[in-house]
Amino acid sequence: MLALEFPPINEILRWQDVFPSFNKIAIIAVAAALVGTVIFLIAGNADGSKAPRGIRNFAEAIVEFIEGQIIMPTMGRDGLGWTPFMLSMFSFIYLCNVPGIIPIIQMPATARMAIPLFLSLLVWVVFIGVGFKHQGLGYLKSSLFPPGVPAALYILVTPIEFISTFLVRPFSLTVRLFANMLAGHILLVTFALLTEELVQGGNIALIPVGILPFFMLVFLTAFEVLVAFLQAYIFTILAAVYIGGAAHPEH
Amino acid sequence: MLRAVVTYGSTGPEVFLSAEGEEGYSSYKYEDCSIIPEGKDPQESIESLEECDPGPSPIMPEAKELYWGAGAFIVFALLMRFFLYPRLRKSMDARYESIRSSHAEADQARAEARGEVATYEAALAEVKAEAAARIDAARATLESERSVQITEVNGRIAARREAAAAASVSAHQAARGEIGTAVASVASRTVELATGTSPDPVAVSRVVDEIMSSGVSS
Repeated sequence: MLALEFPPINEILRWQDVFPSFNKIAIIAVAAALVGTVIFLIAGNADGSKAPRGIRNFAEAIVEFIEGQIIMPTMGRDGLGWTPFMLSMFSFIYLCNVPGIIPIIQMPATARMAIPLFLSLLVWVVFIGVGFKHQGLGYLKSSLFPPGVPAALYILVTPIEFISTFLVRPFSLTVRLFANMLAGHILLVTFALLTEELVQGGNIALIPVGILPFFMLVFLTAFEVLVAFLQAYIFTILAAVYIGGAAHPEH
Repeated sequence: MLRAVVTYGSTGPEVFLSAEGEEGYSSYKYEDCSIIPEGKDPQESIESLEECDPGPSPIMPEAKELYWGAGAFIVFALLMRFFLYPRLRKSMDARYESIRSSHAEADQARAEARGEVATYEAALAEVKAEAAARIDAARATLESERSVQITEVNGRIAARREAAAAASVSAHQAARGEIGTAVASVASRTVELATGTSPDPVAVSRVVDEIMSSGVSS
């Protein structure tokens, strides 16, 4: 009888501090900022007059992706000023997600609550600030009393709008990113442990069976590449939607 | 104070609590734990590491991760805002502008080339028309000259033909005279041999002329 002892979730998240107050998640976060900085530094130093190649091509593709696929559809041409913010947010989240599939590191920094929470609170502060900057106190009116709704329904609609706009948005942004990345990490751990247990468990008959979870592990690793990109994209486009909606409520 | 040491063995991460001069964890009490489990006496010895050090909460954010992550992102975002993105955008804009101006130059060159082609085609049509007119004029001139020359040549041919006809007639008459003379001579000789007398040459010539004339006419 095969007995797979799966560690508790907090067990697979326990890391030895490199030094007090600096653990693996902090390393990944700092490395993500450094790698992003180096990529855009190298891209900026390359000769811009010629057709872009290599890292510059990669960096320009990200910039055009942010502008063309995130900012223009959600904020319009007026939102292009937000490109550096969206670009840094997308790059940072992606570079925090990707270590989940890099051998040895194998931990997405966004699978812990801290970074998604900080980014969500930042977006929350930014979109509320943008709302007040563009509309003044009218932002509260446009947010809590959406036009076109019969006055009697404001009793229901206003609390719902307040909760969804000011409370649920940062919460949903945080949980969406954190939960997806943590779930992916747990899946990878599960199939890695199952493969190890079947192959090294001492039962020769089960060794060929171990190839099944191994293939699943390979597939999920490839899938996590997509998830890493997708979650960064979703977080960033939602941030753009919230900021764009606060700046131009008519949209 | 209890110290947690995490090691990575073949079975995964393992946590041991240790302190100077002591080994293992059986001598530690729940009061040494960061969190005393419910229902446990602080003075009681711990039973397992997990209940004493459950590890980080999978839900609650840790302060060190929060401020390192926030710090890293803020620094990255500020660098991106004031240094990295402007440099990249500036060179991208410069290249786009260069491409746009190259397109405009190409459009202008194309328009100029089209204008030159139109000018060339107009000149070519003019030259072709002029060439056709010249060819027609030359053809007309040639035709008239040809007609004149043909008329002239026909005249010369007719004159030559008349001269040749006259020469032929005179030659014919001369030959006839010679033949008549020869025939008269032969006839006179024949008569002389037959009769022994020489006939009158005038009569012989008249008879021969009559015979030749009748022979020619017949």
